[in-house]
Amino acid sequence: MRRMVMAWAALACMAAPARAHEFWLAPSAYRASAGDTVSLRVYVGTGFRGELKPYAPSRTVRFLLRATRELDLSRAARNGDRVMARFVAPDDGGALVAYQSNFADIELPSADFDRYLADEGLDAVRAARAQKPSGATARERYARSPKTWIAGTDSTRASRPVGLDYELVPRGAPGARSALTVQVLFRGRPLAGALVRAWHRPLADPTHPVDAAARDSVAPVLRARTDGRGLATLAIDAYGEWMLSSVHMRPSADREEADWESYWASLTFAKPLP
Amino acid sequence: MKTRARAAWLALLCLAGATRALAHDAPYSFLDLRLGPGGLDGALTAHVFDLAHELGVAAPDSLLDSTRATAVADRLARVLGGRLRLVADGRAVPPRWTGIAVDRDRQALTLRFEAKWAHAPGALDVDARLFPYDPQHETYLNVYQGDSLRLQALLDHRHAHARVYDRGAQGRWAVVATFVGAGIQHIFLGPDHVLFVIGLLLLGGGLARLLKVVTAFTLAHSVTLALATLRLVDPPARLIEPLIALSIVLVGVENLRSRPGRDHRAVLAFLFGLVHGFGFAGVLRQFGLPSEALGWSLFSFNLGVEVGQACIVATVAPLLGMVRDRSSSGSTLVVRYGSCAVMLAGAYWLGQRLLLAAHG
Repeated sequence: MRRMVMAWAALACMAAPARAHEFWLAPSAYRASAGDTVSLRVYVGTGFRGELKPYAPSRTVRFLLRATRELDLSRAARNGDRVMARFVAPDDGGALVAYQSNFADIELPSADFDRYLADEGLDAVRAARAQKPSGATARERYARSPKTWIAGTDSTRASRPVGLDYELVPRGAPGARSALTVQVLFRGRPLAGALVRAWHRPLADPTHPVDAAARDSVAPVLRARTDGRGLATLAIDAYGEWMLSSVHMRPSADREEADWESYWASLTFAKPLP
Repeated sequence: MKTRARAAWLALLCLAGATRALAHDAPYSFLDLRLGPGGLDGALTAHVFDLAHELGVAAPDSLLDSTRATAVADRLARVLGGRLRLVADGRAVPPRWTGIAVDRDRQALTLRFEAKWAHAPGALDVDARLFPYDPQHETYLNVYQGDSLRLQALLDHRHAHARVYDRGAQGRWAVVATFVGAGIQHIFLGPDHVLFVIGLLLLGGGLARLLKVVTAFTLAHSVTLALATLRLVDPPARLIEPLIALSIVLVGVENLRSRPGRDHRAVLAFLFGLVHGFGFAGVLRQFGLPSEALGWSLFSFNLGVEVGQACIVATVAPLLGMVRDRSSSGSTLVVRYGSCAVMLAGAYWLGQRLLLAAHG
């Protein structure tokens, strides 16, 4: 029986990609007018299908809302709350929500780690590992910095950097045009050669997303690498809910904790029906 | 191995026809404790996916049936109870499981329990590694006392322990006892601080002078310890640790350069005391500061550091005084060779820490 289970597991593993998990903010609505209440949840998963992740103050470095002004949301929820925050839109200008976690750690068998590097386009790390013999496992610590844009009339709220460690900064209002240029910043500086991937799902109605836990995983529909100025342009031409995600990895600054440290940035938004 | 077990379980479920609802990318559970004068009431909520794994049940959703949940309650209590340890003021308080409820919204089961004590404890320790085969599993621990939320913690495979202090007088005493001990321990286990203090004492001097030197060190490190603990100033350890080593080298150099009428130890003690304070703060943070008793823990840790320092001064200063009284040439040799030893040790740490910083 045990052998059979392991065989099934092997089959399942062959069929599935390396389990790298995106992490994204999901607002209850992707557009809000003055007075509308929006609640915020965060999901972790693969292929833009995920499980709700409760809020943990001890993991939170920053959690802010940018609307008419910037508000600290880090005390808006308690440990374990599944809704991370609720806010009432102060005007029709739109709102940007940004979150940054501290490091969590994971240890993966080397083969899985290499597969995950390939999936995420982390070629420099793959090359570095190929040059140097590595152990049976790879120790990684990862930090996450998702953002979401709740559309409104003031696109500058979305297009100004927040100052997260790793950040996708849209040039203009996400979803407003058929192409979106994003700048990828690592500690405030443009990062060249970063892979940005995009996933797309239909909306439940013109502004509300489908529950991310109750849908199937999908493959990314777009990929682009950033140029020397950290810019990547993606053709956001389908209506619906979008997630852009990028991962940056480098040798860990704390070798006792981990061999590698990765930074995960995402940006969710909706392209509305005309 | 743990990951493999989880993968096997996931594969089994997938191949059995389960689809999207069963994928479990973020494994977590909730542990809520409500403290009262006579004991605590607890609720442990875990996802049916994880519980099914424990029970060897192929269809996790079947546990959402209340009859089925009641039938497995005792087995779950035995398994999870063995992985949950509650210790009140050093004494284990075993949970008594009182019931189970289905939480469909969270796709989870909630197991209720209680634990009794004769007197409300000053400190309650919680150890919970509820699903030890899964390194990604996290437990959201909330501890309430009356209406107030005393502790919010996230327990995982590396940090499976949390401590909460009572909000009354017994809690404050527990904080003081814990952190005074931590301060004393840190001074004696940290040879760099001990050597810096000994280096300052080598030249000797009257009680007033020694008091001035030690007070300068104390004042300085108290200020930076508080600033860094409150995160008002937070220099990186890779900068602070080499500077602490450098301070030890310089105190040795200063001793060797000393002439009658030239004693800069108090200034040195103050300047480098600022740096040592940041080092203390790093240790204090690693120790885990209780946010509900930040002021008391900071004060107590500082007090412990002072007690440790006072012990060193009380031991070393009379010994050096005895040598000086017996022979002035012996005293000179102690200062010279002692200072060289202090410098060498400091130089060794400096090199080691610079290398670490360069490669870190």
